[in-house]
Formats: sequence, C-alpha cells, structure tokens
Amino acid sequence: MRLVPRDEWRTVLAALHASGLVYLDLLTAVERDAGLEVVARVVRPGSAAAEVIVAALPADDLRIDSAVPVYPGAAWHERETAEMFGIEFTGHPDPRPLLLRTGLGAPPLRKGTVLAARVVQPWPGEFEPSRPDRAGSPSRRRARPLGVLDGWPDEGGRP
Amino acid sequence: MKWVTSPPASAYRLAGDLGVRVVVANLGLACCSMEVEAAVARGLLVPDDGQDPESTVLLVSGTVTDALAPAVLSARDHLDGEVVVVSFGACASTGGPYWDAPTVTKGIDQLLPVAGYVPGCPPRPEALVAGLLDVLRDRP
Amino acid sequence: MTVRGVIALIPDACTSCMLCVRECPTWCISLQAHPEQVVDEGARRPRTVNVLDAFAIDFGLCMYCGICVDVCPFDALEWAPDHDYGAATRAGLVQPMERLAAWLAPP
Ligand code: SF4
Ligand code: SF4
Ligand code: SF4
Repeated sequence: MRLVPRDEWRTVLAALHASGLVYLDLLTAVERDAGLEVVARVVRPGSAAAEVIVAALPADDLRIDSAVPVYPGAAWHERETAEMFGIEFTGHPDPRPLLLRTGLGAPPLRKGTVLAARVVQPWPGEFEPSRPDRAGSPSRRRARPLGVLDGWPDEGGRP
Repeated sequence: MKWVTSPPASAYRLAGDLGVRVVVANLGLACCSMEVEAAVARGLLVPDDGQDPESTVLLVSGTVTDALAPAVLSARDHLDGEVVVVSFGACASTGGPYWDAPTVTKGIDQLLPVAGYVPGCPPRPEALVAGLLDVLRDRP
Repeated sequence: MTVRGVIALIPDACTSCMLCVRECPTWCISLQAHPEQVVDEGARRPRTVNVLDAFAIDFGLCMYCGICVDVCPFDALEWAPDHDYGAATRAGLVQPMERLAAWLAPP
C-alpha cells in the first residue's frame, strides 16, 4: 500500500499504467476520522504484480481527479464511490449516479448518515428489566443500538 | 440440476398429488430464489405443464427495492385470472436483513395484498411447499 | 449447527439479560420482564431476580443468523428442528413465548 498526495493521484496512476499495471481491479473509499481515503488497486494481467494506492481527502474538500482518462474501467467504480461516499471525481466524463435514485439524502455509506428506519423504529433493546419504568435511561451502557449515533437526532454527532 | 429461467417469472407446479392444482410463478429477485430452484432440484416443484390450474400463485422470492416495485406489480398484471400472492422469505415479507436500508421496500404487502408469508432467510424448500399448501387449502 | 429450523426458547433458563435482544441485527426479538425479590432461607438480604413475562421473535424479520443463540449466556435459545412458521398475515409471523417454548415440550 502506498499513500500518495491527492494532487498526484492521476499522475501516479498514469505511471503505474505505463509500467504495465494496466488493469484497474478496484476503486473505492474508506471513511477515517480525519476524512476519507480513496483506494485503488491496479494489477498486471496474467501475473501476480499489483499495487494498492491510497489518497487522503480532508472532510471539508472531498474532491479528487478522476482516474477515467487513465483507466476507462474506473468509470463505474467512481460513479458508485461518488454516490455512496459523497466524493467528487473531477473530470469524470459521465458523473450520473450509478445505483441510487436521486433524492435519498446523505451518502448512505458515510458513518454520519443515519438510517431513518433505525431511528423511527423503537429499539427493543432499550427495555431494562430491572427497572421496567426507566427504559432508555441515558446512563445505560448501551442506551442506543448499533448504527444510531450518540445524541442523534438532537445533537448530530459522530459514531 | 435443471434451471428454468424464463423472465419475468418461471412457472412451476407442485409435484405429487397434494390436492391442489396450482401454477407457481416464481418472481426470483435475490438469494431466496435459489431455494425455489432447490425445491425444483429436489422434485418438490416440477415445471409447469401448461394445463389449466385451479389457482395461480405469484411467489415473490427475494429483496424488493422501491425502484423494482413497479416491476413486481407488472408481473402480477401479466398473470391471468385471480392471482394469489405469496411472500417467500424475510426480504419480501418485511425487508428482512435490509429492514433499515433506505432503498428496500419494507414488505411487498405495501404494494399488493399478500395471502401468505413463508418466513426464513432463506426458507427451506419444505417450508415453501408447506406455505403454499397452507395458503391454498384455506381458500374457498 | 443450524438446520435452518426456527429458534426455540427455554423460558426457565432465560434470565431476561437482554443480550439477545440487543445483539439481534434485525431488532426482531422483544422481551418483557419485571424484577422480584426472592428471600433465600438463611440469607441476610433478599436477592432480586428478573421474571420473564413475555418473549417474542418476529420471524418476518429474523435472518436466521443465530447471533441470539450464540450470545445467550444461559443457553436459553436453541435451534429447533422444524421450519413451520408460515402465516397468513404479517402479524402472524410474530411468535410468542408459548410457541417458541413448545418445540421443547415433551411429545
Ligand atoms: S430473505 Fe435472506 S435469503 Fe431471502 S432474499 Fe432476503 S437476504 Fe436473501
Ligand atoms: S437469528 Fe439473528 S435475526 Fe433471528 S432472532 Fe436471532 S439474532 Fe435476531
Ligand atoms: S440472551 Fe438468553 S438469557 Fe438473555 S434474554 Fe436472551 S434468551 Fe434470555
């Protein structure tokens, strides 16, 4: 795995392509505390040669150059990564959403995106048998189920 | 193993003399459909012979997304006569494992009336036969 | 090992610890219980136990992952051999404690 500055993303990809790693195996993103990382894996067909490169994007500027001019096969990966994580791939020739209809709100694979069903639906785990009258008391070890952020919806918050 | 995959739905009959003549149109949308194929492979379902059935079942087996919902309704409209809808598996019944997904329909009963539910993720082939018999024997 | 049967409950073994309810990924288990004081002979203070009032699994949502069976520290949940929980209504897929326990009753 090699961390590359995001401004050099396409240059590095072009160099990898020129070195024979001409097949784009994977392009996706990972959410970290400080922001997001875009990950790409390129391989040399017919051999075990492969390289994984990662570029970090700060949370307030989720833009990176599209890899499509170098690897046309990145087009669908980038469309999916864009709609799932809210990343903008600048220079993508066809940036329509790939899988999601529009109007769904926040990018679904971001940790800060709350799944409405998990908030609307009462969590059965809130019930506390030793104190049946004090269900959901905030002092409980796990007053909230997995997947619902602390303090949501009142305070927003991080997972 | 024999694959019968003629879109939008493959048609089967219940094997053996179980007291019902039914044609089952399997609308296979996800993994649950594999269990319908397993029922075929085990001889519990046989390919439709084209004779007039007493009942027609639309078996919705798999995950229905909101984007796909119109196709489910259209599959029902493509079947002749009265159609008994059976929901096969957790996804079709409630959304199942995807109950919290913003894109998945939380049960096909939000789209059309459902006569019977077969729970499971996926249900076993025997559960399919038992569920079909339950639904059909209770009908007038 | 699962044979993809349904899940059975042994009510006497269940301590209402809530672990299964809280770990279930589809939130399909619900439980009602209340605390009671039990006075043991010779003990200086009564101890508190949770008495199970109701326990239900919604098999419309259950994904048969077995997490509840695995996490139960008291082996109160088990795979039952059969599958037959089909229902004519959505509400009929919710199986109450009596039905979950019936798998284990002697024939
Ligand atoms: S209920 Fe389970 S097996 Fe059936 S389609 Fe949904 S996820 Fe797949
Ligand atoms: S098997 Fe899984 S989904 Fe079903 S009740 Fe247990 S934990 Fe919940
Ligand atoms: S984990 Fe076991 S003991 Fe605890 S509430 Fe569930 S069934 Fe009862």
